[in-house]
Amino acid sequence: MKVEYQNRTLVFMRIIRAKTSFEDHIVIADFIADTWLLWILVSVGGFLFWRGQSSQYFGYVFNRYLLALMTLLIVSGIVFSLMEVLPGDCAEKYIAYKSTQGETITQADIAAERARMGLDQPLVVRWGQWVTNLTLRGDLGFSCAKRQSVNLALGDRFWMSFWFCIAALVFSYVIAVPFGILSAFTINKDWTDKNPQNTKAERIINSIGLSLQKFIDLQLRIISYLGLALPNFLLALTIILLYVFAGEPAPTGLFSNEFRDVPWFGEDGFDFAKLNDFLGHIWLPIFVIGWSATALQLQTVRALVVDETNKLYVDAARARGVRGAALWAGYPVRHSISPLFNSVGFDFQRVFNDLPIVAIVIGLTDGAALLIEALALTNDQELAAAILFLVALVVISMNFITDIVLAAIDPRVRTSVMGG
Amino acid sequence: MFTRVLSIFSRKPKEQSDESYYTAGQLSLIKDRFKSKTSGVIAGWILALLVTVSFFAPFFSPVDPTINGADSEYRRGAPQWIHMSDENGFSLRPFVYTYSKEKAKIDFKALSGAGGLAALDALTSGDALTSSSQNKYIIDKDKRRYLQFFVKGWEYSLIDLSVGSLNLDIRWDRHLVGVDNGELHIMGTDEDGKDVFSRSIHAIWITLSIAVVALIVKLFFSLLVGGVSGYFGGRVDAILMSFTEAVRVIPPIPIYLACAVALAEIDLTPVQRYFAIAVVIGALDFAALGRRLRTHILTERNQDYILAAQLCGSSTWRIIWQHLVPSFGSYIIVDTLINFPYVILAETSLSFLGLGLTEPVNSLGVLLQKAQDPDIQQNMIWQFFPVALFVALIMAFVFVGDALRDAADPYAEKS
Amino acid sequence: MSNTANPNLLDINNLTIDFRTDEGLVHAVRDVSLNVRPGEIMGLVGESGSGKSVTAKTIMRLNPNNAIIQHPSQISLQHESKQINVLKLRNRDLNIVRGNAVSMIFQEPMASFAPAIRISDQIIQTMQIHLGISKKEARKRGIELFDRVGIVQPEKRFDQYVFELSGGMRQRAMIAMALSTQPKLLIADEPTTALDVTIQAQVLELMLELREQYGMAMLFITHDLGVISKIADRVTVMQKGQVVEAGEADKVLFEPQHAYTKRLLDALPHLDQLPEPPTAKPETLVEIDKLSVSYKIAGSGMRSDTFTAVKEISLSLPKGQIIGLVGESGSGKTSLGKAILGAAPISSGQVSYFDDKQTLSFGHNKKLQRLELAKIAQLVFQDPYSSLNPRMTVRDIIAEPLEAMKLTSSRAETDQRIIEVAEKCHIDVTHLRRFPHAFSGGQRQRISIARALICNPKFIVADESVAALDVSIQAEILGLLKSLRDELGLTILFISHDLSVIANLCDWVCVMRYGELIEQGSVRKIFLEPEKEYTQQLIASIPVLTPKETAVSEE
Repeated sequence: MKVEYQNRTLVFMRIIRAKTSFEDHIVIADFIADTWLLWILVSVGGFLFWRGQSSQYFGYVFNRYLLALMTLLIVSGIVFSLMEVLPGDCAEKYIAYKSTQGETITQADIAAERARMGLDQPLVVRWGQWVTNLTLRGDLGFSCAKRQSVNLALGDRFWMSFWFCIAALVFSYVIAVPFGILSAFTINKDWTDKNPQNTKAERIINSIGLSLQKFIDLQLRIISYLGLALPNFLLALTIILLYVFAGEPAPTGLFSNEFRDVPWFGEDGFDFAKLNDFLGHIWLPIFVIGWSATALQLQTVRALVVDETNKLYVDAARARGVRGAALWAGYPVRHSISPLFNSVGFDFQRVFNDLPIVAIVIGLTDGAALLIEALALTNDQELAAAILFLVALVVISMNFITDIVLAAIDPRVRTSVMGG
Repeated sequence: MFTRVLSIFSRKPKEQSDESYYTAGQLSLIKDRFKSKTSGVIAGWILALLVTVSFFAPFFSPVDPTINGADSEYRRGAPQWIHMSDENGFSLRPFVYTYSKEKAKIDFKALSGAGGLAALDALTSGDALTSSSQNKYIIDKDKRRYLQFFVKGWEYSLIDLSVGSLNLDIRWDRHLVGVDNGELHIMGTDEDGKDVFSRSIHAIWITLSIAVVALIVKLFFSLLVGGVSGYFGGRVDAILMSFTEAVRVIPPIPIYLACAVALAEIDLTPVQRYFAIAVVIGALDFAALGRRLRTHILTERNQDYILAAQLCGSSTWRIIWQHLVPSFGSYIIVDTLINFPYVILAETSLSFLGLGLTEPVNSLGVLLQKAQDPDIQQNMIWQFFPVALFVALIMAFVFVGDALRDAADPYAEKS
Repeated sequence: MSNTANPNLLDINNLTIDFRTDEGLVHAVRDVSLNVRPGEIMGLVGESGSGKSVTAKTIMRLNPNNAIIQHPSQISLQHESKQINVLKLRNRDLNIVRGNAVSMIFQEPMASFAPAIRISDQIIQTMQIHLGISKKEARKRGIELFDRVGIVQPEKRFDQYVFELSGGMRQRAMIAMALSTQPKLLIADEPTTALDVTIQAQVLELMLELREQYGMAMLFITHDLGVISKIADRVTVMQKGQVVEAGEADKVLFEPQHAYTKRLLDALPHLDQLPEPPTAKPETLVEIDKLSVSYKIAGSGMRSDTFTAVKEISLSLPKGQIIGLVGESGSGKTSLGKAILGAAPISSGQVSYFDDKQTLSFGHNKKLQRLELAKIAQLVFQDPYSSLNPRMTVRDIIAEPLEAMKLTSSRAETDQRIIEVAEKCHIDVTHLRRFPHAFSGGQRQRISIARALICNPKFIVADESVAALDVSIQAEILGLLKSLRDELGLTILFISHDLSVIANLCDWVCVMRYGELIEQGSVRKIFLEPEKEYTQQLIASIPVLTPKETAVSEE
């Protein structure tokens, strides 16, 4: 880290010293390459600020942007200081590695190594360096346990986790939204029809319909709550167990052995067999974490829709002759979408929360599994901090996006955040 | 929030002039509404049953769940069925049969020894033995063991209220059921011969008490953050809320993990460890409730009755204690109940990874962890009994929480 | 009257509705019969709980799930020269009473438009359902209607959201929506109650015009007989779910038979019976000196603006009188009332109390002594629901000032004081153990008054204290306030938007508008000889009892 830091100061100095135009080009290219992220952040901020001068909406977006960056800074502080509690540090790990190579190590060596790596400096200074590197060029630091840069060690794995979570989220929404609405629909209904205006036959038919609705609602609630009550590691285990009992290979990992090293685009074009195999494996983690996310989602949807249904405008719409699906979809449901959409960021966080343990059970090698490995096995502070930071980054970005999108499309939000 | 609940009540003209309704406080109103939710009431009874049984676990368990009570004669034993009649005739008193071990064909020493699991894995993967033969016991149908009630057994403390100098430890040695000869294993035994049923009901209480401690810690921090933020407002509020917002976006389980790893470094007794984990779970979970309390205080602070109290000359403390605290008292209770499953799940997740509580402590997490053992999955399916209890417990909590939420509507105002 | 088979547009016969509740069956409507002829305005009068809204909703079949329409209830509607049994309608046929032949105007225009859908889309949707016209055509007609109901810039307003319109504008939009399908019967459920007096007069005027133009019948629901006398041809009075009186408007209003109708009529202002102004001006209790109240409003971004609700008002309140403070919404009357009690941010000026023993003053740069003030001045709130802590018993609520300020030495003494005050305010002493939810609005307001009186204050601010109450209960509370003034020599600042209440209660009236004091004077002067134009306009829009000109000419 220290070395890199010095390198960067060198770059700065070189810029100052640069004389010839040829050198200038290289130096500037270097400089840009080393600070690209900062420029993006600053130019986005500048653009928003500029637009915010004339438009209230962009003023709001600019405010949210600053707020998001500030939250990210606080998150990085929390994550960075939290990782201090993990035992061991880089110097110890490096020395330990060396000792396996047969060198004899003394306490003085460790101290010297610590000084060389800059670990003897106070936490705030090291955090400052980490944040600087990150904001300048998206450098997440150096993993001592893996002995490579965190960016490299993570590679695509974080994205893999990201898509897992998104898929699980989609899965839970697909289940929770319609069933939550159905549940809200039946919440204040009776099991039987007691309307004396209806004839006896009508009452019986209506009662059967109502009972059926209530029963389906109860079943759906039980099923979705089971997702919560069955810890997801157990669920994953049970499914694997079923495969074992059935005598078939369990869909652990991402691919079966025979497809692991087959390229996506073989000689005969796209390999559909591999895709098939991939889909055959991928459903398990998505199903497992998606199901457990459903319970909470269902409760939220139900509460939101019930809340809207009790409002006067629904009655007013009914009085105008709006009926059936047009009434439900157009009024209570439409108005409860905004708060639901608003919670996507935190839903993502909740889903990711469950992913690591499932990843361990299923034998995935994504970012979440890496996180568990870094935390529980290798005490790899840098890697763990980076992954946690990235998750927070995703959540904050999602919150930022949902906030500004809602402010753009939902007139209620627009008035409340911008005062009309 | 509650005024809405109330207005629903008060709008209707009363037919019966029942004084008890008029003098009913907030909680009893919620109770009345709760009673109309059938699924919630059923779940409530199941929950009450589970909690009672687990609180008096030593009384309800026929066998000592610790290693002291392990039945060395009946390791890996299947559940013993309770019969009322068989070919030898009918008996009013329920009974079980006597089980005796078959002459061992293989070396069981390796199993009971330290490397039991590894040895078992070797055994199960080998062809030398079919899975069922490991725990084959001969049932002697002629030797009945009759069930006895309120039987004398090992001594335990029924209620232990020893705090400091106060020494109030009620000890007893009676148990609800037992057999006249030998031990009763309703749900079978594990590889050490410990009774699965007894372990499970003890585990519920341990897990619940961790959740209770965690929720109390959580409540403390939430109240601190939400109260300070909501009451003072302004800059304090802004700083605290941006910090809370930051905590809220980080997934909690990895954070628990990091703390648990750090705790593992420190040399702690099981009891200390137990409390440390509860405190960690609780302390890091303040964000959501803290935020909600803040919103609640902010809205409640602007209610007319608070202004009325101010105009009556009430001091700030009086307003806080007389008006604000009671206003979210029932709200907190409901929120806590709704959060129980999540805290329990956090505990089990940690224990599952071996970072929470560990053997020989009986917690549901520890018992669930065993479920991932292929040996248990294939040969000792009865060790999934704690899983069933766990599912029942969580479902009961969720349904009770659901019904309570409808009855008290704590989320009527969304933040 | 022509004697065709059935001259009525709407016939309600023996309507009986029960509600299933946790406390058992509640009878909401009992055996109500009512009819509306084509083109006529039927006034349906009653207070909350009288079943008038339930009746109206039943015509549109909008009752909640727990409502049971008992036998032998019957509602029939004449539609396309057929008699339609409304209670038997199902599915698609329901549209006849929902928007097609019958449409409805609700009391709260803000809440009855979906907040996140443009008004235009809601109106176009309605027209498309019932008229089956193209979107473009519907849009054109919608804008025409907006123009017709007197909305300026109809094209612009048509595409706005409901919260972007002002209160009067919202009700006009609501009326446009109801008229969009050209119904034969318009049900108006308290359409002007939430509006200011001047706007209320405009909306009533508009509705009469529209009736002429479209020739539709109206079922006009209200609790205000003044409004009824302006608009209705016939009147039905309901009480506790039953019809107590019905007939031609003039007959019911000028020759009421039932005691309940008489009581309702008594609540109207009697401009001919206003009290004489007191001869000698009593000494001043409260002196308000150039008082301004400003609130900080959080602007977007870093800026924060201030809003001045009260602008440099000077006023002196005489001892032992009831002073009325009148103004429409946004006039700053509530802010002034709160500022006098030190509960609003005073930006300049000061308030002084001249008690027998001491002088207490506070204001800008002058800190108030809350405990001293609390013993002299108290507030009675507008909302009897949110001003009582639902978690405390009535006894604890009334005892609060005593306990907070430790004015009594023992619990027994506290209880003694509570019982005295409760009796003064006509609260049943056996009810002291109950919680507020057990009481109706009027009873709650008594509790609120009792709490204000327990520490024997000299001055009470009553902020819209009867606005949320029914007319007959209003009268009781007003009577209570009057008797308290006479017995205890209280000075009361009575803040209200309702001129009829002021006329019946107050000795002295102040009129406020946009934070400024427009005019003040004795009740007689303000109501009979108002000087300022705004006051004249305000007085003119009071719905007082006026005989129908047409009816007069017929006789």
